[in-house]
Amino acid sequence: MFKLNLKIAIRNLWKYKGYTAINIFGLSIGLASCILIFIFVRYHLSFDKDYKNEDRIYRVVSSWKYPDGNDSKSQGVPLPLPAAMRTDFSQFEKVAAIQQGVGIVKVKALPGKAEIKVSSYVYYAEPSFFEIFDHQWLAGNPNQSLSAPNTVVLSEETANTYFGDWRKALGNSITLDNERDFKVTGVIKDNPQNSSFPLKIIVSYASFVSKNDKSWKSVSSNSECYVLLKKGVSQNDLIKPLEQFLKKYYVENSVGKEFHHFQALKDIHHSDDYGNFAQQNTPYKQIIGLAIIGLFLLLTACINFINLATAQAVSRSKEVGVRKVMGSRRKQLIWQFLSETTLITVIALLLACVFSELALPKMENLFGGNVSFSLFGHPVIFVFLFGLLILVSFLAGIYPALIMSGFSPALAIKNKIAANAGGVGLRKTLVVVQFAITAVLIVSTLVVIKQMSYIRNKSLGFDTKAIALVGIPSDSVSRIRYNSFQERVLAVPGVKTISFCSAPPSSGNNNQTSFTYNSSKDADFQLNIKIADENYFKTFGLQLVTGRTLSKSDTTKEFVVNETLLRKLNVKNPNEAIGKIMKVWGQSGPIVGVVKDFNNYSLHEEISPIAIFSRKSRVSTIAIRMELTEMTAALKNVEQIFNTTFPDSVYENEFFDESLKNYYETEQIMGTLFKVFAGVVIFISFIGLFGLISFVATQRTKEIAIRKVLGASNLELIKMLNSSFLWMVLIANMAAWPIAYIFVSNWLTTFQYRTALDIWPFVIAMVTSMTITIVTVSLRSYRAAKANTIDALKYE
Amino acid sequence: MIELKNIEKYYANKGVKSYILRHVTTSIKQGEFVSIMGPSGAGKSTLLNILGMLEEATYGEYHFMGEDVTAMNERKRIELYRNHIGFVFQAYHLIDEMTVAENIEAPLLYKKIPGAERKSRIADVLDRFNMVAKKDLFPNQLSGGQQQLVGIARALVAQPSIILADEPTGNLQSAQSEQIMDLFRKLNQEENITILQVTHSEKNAQFGNRILTIEDGVIKEDVSVSK
Repeated sequence: MFKLNLKIAIRNLWKYKGYTAINIFGLSIGLASCILIFIFVRYHLSFDKDYKNEDRIYRVVSSWKYPDGNDSKSQGVPLPLPAAMRTDFSQFEKVAAIQQGVGIVKVKALPGKAEIKVSSYVYYAEPSFFEIFDHQWLAGNPNQSLSAPNTVVLSEETANTYFGDWRKALGNSITLDNERDFKVTGVIKDNPQNSSFPLKIIVSYASFVSKNDKSWKSVSSNSECYVLLKKGVSQNDLIKPLEQFLKKYYVENSVGKEFHHFQALKDIHHSDDYGNFAQQNTPYKQIIGLAIIGLFLLLTACINFINLATAQAVSRSKEVGVRKVMGSRRKQLIWQFLSETTLITVIALLLACVFSELALPKMENLFGGNVSFSLFGHPVIFVFLFGLLILVSFLAGIYPALIMSGFSPALAIKNKIAANAGGVGLRKTLVVVQFAITAVLIVSTLVVIKQMSYIRNKSLGFDTKAIALVGIPSDSVSRIRYNSFQERVLAVPGVKTISFCSAPPSSGNNNQTSFTYNSSKDADFQLNIKIADENYFKTFGLQLVTGRTLSKSDTTKEFVVNETLLRKLNVKNPNEAIGKIMKVWGQSGPIVGVVKDFNNYSLHEEISPIAIFSRKSRVSTIAIRMELTEMTAALKNVEQIFNTTFPDSVYENEFFDESLKNYYETEQIMGTLFKVFAGVVIFISFIGLFGLISFVATQRTKEIAIRKVLGASNLELIKMLNSSFLWMVLIANMAAWPIAYIFVSNWLTTFQYRTALDIWPFVIAMVTSMTITIVTVSLRSYRAAKANTIDALKYE
Repeated sequence: MIELKNIEKYYANKGVKSYILRHVTTSIKQGEFVSIMGPSGAGKSTLLNILGMLEEATYGEYHFMGEDVTAMNERKRIELYRNHIGFVFQAYHLIDEMTVAENIEAPLLYKKIPGAERKSRIADVLDRFNMVAKKDLFPNQLSGGQQQLVGIARALVAQPSIILADEPTGNLQSAQSEQIMDLFRKLNQEENITILQVTHSEKNAQFGNRILTIEDGVIKEDVSVSK
């Protein structure tokens, strides 16, 4: 029976080649998008898995509440915290501190290998870190390899790069920052890509310079702390001890009220608030958003299928009738039609696999190429594909199967099944749903595009073009060479100005601190500080409201502040602020200028109160402004000068405008995804509409012929066929507008600075879908209208 | 075998009943070859459909092999289709996507007859109808007469006790027509299969042994055919 049904199914599909092709193609595009989304979602849900104790591992994170209502958060903890927790919490089995740092790694030349000098992240980790997170050790073990000072453990890949073969690494040493040698005492397997811990060079915590720091007041996001709960301990059991802990170590009435909480390992990759060492976060809402888009795609594809299948149903009514009088049960017919749907789905699924395989490299590019995806890399994809097959076959197949199997045999045999069997009403509803989804996606896409162009074109308050940022060493020896370096760089043709600073006006690298203004008491909010020199303003094109820029100085003598700071301090007239005394980082000085507000974060966030001042010892970056046309050549010279001036450092530059783009990486990706998926949905809907109009045209062949005989022109007939569809699309758009509005206005509120939401995206969505409808319907109905009248009438 | 008592069929439209069948009472015994005749619109096909349980009577009693059809559930009716009733249609109604052999096989599949026996029965029927050479052809590759032969073969292969035929030769030329009628007579006489046919043709009616004439929904005449 099954074999015969399969054969019949194939013959049937072949008989209606056109429908089949439309069906399969539309479905496979939808399925391919779903597969891609699944691969992406699976990848991000797979982060930090497969540790033996994963359910009991927590990260300690910090937050502060300020009187002005703001709070700030950090993934880091005060340096003495891990040790204190170890003694104060009986609920912890293990506590481990891990510190991220950047250093210049040097590996001496080996026979057949040149010397290696690179700038790299270095992690100072306590041995217990590896007891909390089990790693595979190729050589050594956590307790022996990481307990003594000046020892280092490398990941397999790193060891291979540095020493040719990890086996040769043991006993050899690497030099960090040209100061200290570390002996390689262990090698671990590399962490996979989907890990929040890109550990390559792990130095024993005993070698960490500030390991004995006792300050509870400052927190760096580089100092993380992990704990392993004892078995059976829940997060609730930690509330009481944590309260006591906070009371014991923090001042009662500090300006920012400190708090810690325990973040589960599985939430680290999905956290909105806290970063991680891998600098990769995918919040759940992003994943859910994508999953919803996937569902939409699947839905539109299934709707197509239902439409086309029910449209075809009439032509199979005779078969149903005959089968019924031969003794087929309704259930058997349902199975027969469902198995046909399954066959189509299988073919579409195979095609979809091919499409996704083709699209995977594009997707990798979209994510900056630091993720590699493979279609069958994980067996769970087969479960997903199977589930998809069942779901789609059922979703798309059950309705047509029910309709067709329900035909009355007496009517079916007499060919009296009305052509609108299977509810034209329902089919129209489905098309309305489809077009509503399309309209929502078009509107969203347009708004995302509009906001992105707003971001690109908004004046941030400073210049970004033709400015290169180069990290420079800040040790005392190097600092002496700053002046000569500056002179030599300024002499390079094409270089206009150069500034020594801590960070450009907008940067991910921010320092916050408390301060006083015109009083001896701390202000009740935090100040964002930028270390700069006298050339900073010229280099970045910052504009002054009043006063003057900084004068040349190696230490903090005076301050330039921004308008937001004055507003927060309730100073109405900027001129009033000039000459007032501020105290920041223990240094007092007068305010000499007020700079016009500039965006110091991404446009998601508000402008912070900022003070700009000099302090040579905290300089870490130079900004070089150049002629746009001579940039490449100039930078080559700068690199040469850098390498001769600071021979022990590694030269790395980035362009300011490029680095700002990184703020909006998520939005860029989202924008692209929206564009692609909106395109796919439009395409699928177009196919569905074409199917439906083909059916309607066939169904109305006789009517059209009679109308023609009565004197209707082709144009009038096309108009007649168009009008009902245009109504449907209009209704769909009306239904889509409020949904789209809620969606996009919500998204826009995540930006502090955003484009105005006007009617245009909505109108464009409507015009687009209307145009598509008119084109599709006219194409098909023109053929119907031109068909030979006699053929149609003779047909009965 | 078939008992009809006071069968009525009407459609009510705005309170006005339009009758298709009125007070039809008759019985058909096992082994009879009955032809139903009458002008167009007289209700012949409706009667046949009611007999074949494709339509329900509005009123009246219908017993098939001693069982009350009006009280019968779907499952039981399908049982009857599988084991006792074979249909032959004017427009043949072969399934276009199936070959001749597959069309004939279909009812056996529903009857859950094992593969080996299916093969032998199909071979048997094909042989009997001289269609072995055509078994892999599709319906549209056959002439009308041949298609109807396949239709009859399909009805026969399940070994029914009654064949219901709605103008089986209505679309055929007279030579083919005669061939089909001969076949019916042979089946009736040699295998004792009850045959009920609707026909327009006096000549075809003569092949049977009883003629029911229906006019305006009422049985006007019920005569035996004298040989």
